[in-house]
Amino acid sequence: MSEVNMSVNLGGLVMKNPVTVASGTFAAGREYNDFFDVSMLGAVTTKGVSLNGWEGNDSPRIAETASGMLNSIGLQNPGVAVLREKDLGWLEGKDVPVIVNVSGHSRQEYVDVIEALEGDDRVDAYEVNISCPNVDEGGMTFGTHVPSVEAVVSSCRAATKRPLIVKLSPNVTDIAEIARAAADAGADALSLINTLLGMAIDARTRRPQLARVVGGLSGPAVKPVALRMVWQVHQAVSVPVLGMGGISTGIDAAEFMLAGATAVAVGTANFVNPRAAADVADGLRAYCIEQGISDVNDLIGALEC
Amino acid sequence: MADSKLIEERALVVSNEQVDKRLYFTVLESPQIAAALCPGQFVHMQIPGMPDKILRRPFSVYATDPGSGTLKILYQVVGSGTEVLSNVVAGAHSSLIGPVGNTWTPPAGARALLVGGGVGAAPLFMLAQQLSEAGSGLCVVLGAQTKDALVAYDDYCALPGVRVVAATDDGSFGHAGFCTQPAQEAMDSGEFDYVAACGPDPLIRIVAGMAADRSLPCQVSLERRMACGVGACLSCVVDTVHGKKRCCVDGPVFEASEVVWQ
Repeated sequence: MSEVNMSVNLGGLVMKNPVTVASGTFAAGREYNDFFDVSMLGAVTTKGVSLNGWEGNDSPRIAETASGMLNSIGLQNPGVAVLREKDLGWLEGKDVPVIVNVSGHSRQEYVDVIEALEGDDRVDAYEVNISCPNVDEGGMTFGTHVPSVEAVVSSCRAATKRPLIVKLSPNVTDIAEIARAAADAGADALSLINTLLGMAIDARTRRPQLARVVGGLSGPAVKPVALRMVWQVHQAVSVPVLGMGGISTGIDAAEFMLAGATAVAVGTANFVNPRAAADVADGLRAYCIEQGISDVNDLIGALEC
Repeated sequence: MADSKLIEERALVVSNEQVDKRLYFTVLESPQIAAALCPGQFVHMQIPGMPDKILRRPFSVYATDPGSGTLKILYQVVGSGTEVLSNVVAGAHSSLIGPVGNTWTPPAGARALLVGGGVGAAPLFMLAQQLSEAGSGLCVVLGAQTKDALVAYDDYCALPGVRVVAATDDGSFGHAGFCTQPAQEAMDSGEFDYVAACGPDPLIRIVAGMAADRSLPCQVSLERRMACGVGACLSCVVDTVHGKKRCCVDGPVFEASEVVWQ
């Protein structure tokens, strides 16, 4: 069998293959350890962490929709100190880079979380979440206006020299404009898409299906939107893209790379198939072999229009 | 044994039998999970033949037969997933994750009162088997809307040393009314020093309150909308006095005194 180079460089983060997990769908990996070894992945992306921890939203927090689901977890997390002790402690010594997803209610909180992690050599990169649709302050409100994108990203940039990935919201009029603002403010890479704001209603009770009424749509249903946005952002900026949105097979991953992604993340598929992320990595390699591709990097942006 | 490893296993549907209007028993051949599963734990099941609904569904395990490598679930058709499942025929395959969650932990030698409303009878049956073998005294109160919906009654009655009390909403069998009244009478008898309950949240809440009033230790098995079923996604959280806990892996069995009822 021919050897395929699967290694990619995502804005300074070297990954042995292009596949990571979408923040919030995988915790820090321990819950999936019975199904596969996380060192099979190109990176582990941890659940979003804030400075002192958040309780998250009321239940019900999820609703199933056609080919997907809505969630309004609300970034429940125990805070950065617990992340360091428990999650980074568990990941320590495993042969996989760690991307910590950083959340904040204010620009200062993002910086505070990064500063709390700067001395910790178990962290390889940050993914700054300016796109969560499920919190009232912070989250998506930072990611949908150019001036606030510039402000948050430049503050985070000043706080670290590590690879800085900025996670974008699809809930904007012009994703290219937001992408350019984040890249110009110092992002080393951009990840997209976060979930699409949506809602579900129970007609019989006349009640929303989520306690918070609205939530973020994910799963195969959002894949066409995600592909379109990855393609647009790849054309708009020179920094690499971490593509995600409905990926559940190696072929899905190949499609995102053809659209311009350097790496991909598996999210909701982890709930369907607990081996999904490993299967996507295996499937992407099988696709390369089938297509006679010796370097997975040759796929990036290779869409022929 | 709540720390047992999670297994994903391709399961064969051995049978899928309708036992009342909206109630079904399904037998699944899943040898590894059947051998490992303890009372109170559940399986997270991909429903075959439902490509546009992607999430798994959690099902309490009613009984296991490690000899034949099978496990049995009891479910009520309540939504699209159980509707599709009710039409699945023997020979179909499905993916199961299990055994998920913690287990009932009755004190050693407990004289136990079990209260199951509707399909809440399901996660209590393996506990009843265990307590029946222990032989220190067991009463099971089962509630259902009608006599025909008391689909677990005969199985419970067949357990040695178990007293079974039935209640039906329409009075067609046993006590007429909700099962909370016979449960209260049993508690007032002073014969029991442990209570376990499962069923609709309002029922569990009442039973938990009655147990608390009598200082009886009480455990409840809860159900929440679930996505991953392995503890990662935080969809299924239960409000407790110790903060939000995951129903899937911190539960589904909780100390009743710990739950903050909505």
